[in-house]
Amino acid sequence: MEVIEWIQFLAGMVLLLLGLLIFLIQMIGVFRFRYVLNRMHAAAMGDTLGIGCCLLGLIVMRGFSFTSLKLLLVIIFLWFSSPVSSHLIARLEVTTDEEPKKHYEKLVADENGTMIVCSQRVRENEAGVKKEDGDGTVF
Amino acid sequence: MGKGIPALEQAYEILFVAALVILAVFLMLSLVRAIIGPRVADRIVAINMMGTQTLAIIAILAVMKQEGYLADICLIYAMTSFLAVIVLSKVYMGVYRQRKEGKEEEETEDGGY
Repeated sequence: MEVIEWIQFLAGMVLLLLGLLIFLIQMIGVFRFRYVLNRMHAAAMGDTLGIGCCLLGLIVMRGFSFTSLKLLLVIIFLWFSSPVSSHLIARLEVTTDEEPKKHYEKLVADENGTMIVCSQRVRENEAGVKKEDGDGTVF
Repeated sequence: MGKGIPALEQAYEILFVAALVILAVFLMLSLVRAIIGPRVADRIVAINMMGTQTLAIIAILAVMKQEGYLADICLIYAMTSFLAVIVLSKVYMGVYRQRKEGKEEEETEDGGY
């Protein structure tokens, strides 16, 4: 029976260390990216996958009991809550950004339904206006 | 933990203490991010990260000390940190809108003079 206990320990250890590794990647991403919306991408990874792996490892170590059931409940709750909070923070950032052109570009749909960058569309419109002007002046 | 096997008990102890130390270091780094973050959204993201790492610490303690009630605390903590993020972002958005409206009113008053 001793071998089974050791296998349980090793499986739990691998999952726990994987979770810690994902937390490490999260911290590196949070410190290396330049802007909040990029940093959020790294931060949301640890919120779901990192703590998911950690708690899964603990469940494997604890075995089948009420404690592991509660930890499973925590994982399921975080799956629901993390996207909602990420969405709210992103909306806060987009609402309160004073100079959005410096940080990101908005996508808009053109006539065919494909997404193009907003500033590119403005440039195309300006080019079209100029062409019309040129046609108008040439008699 | 360990179920009476001395070597296994020691291995569990070492693993849990190492994980707790690593998570404490990450917690400090998140605090640094929350302090230097130039925008408000940065700080809220850092607070969210700190909540997640505290959650992992509480769960590890629950399994390490074999205290079942710490798992309940873990669940409550998850809900509380989720609520904190929602309230912070909503309140800050409201404050920002109010401040912007106040600024616009001042500008119109200046135009009136």
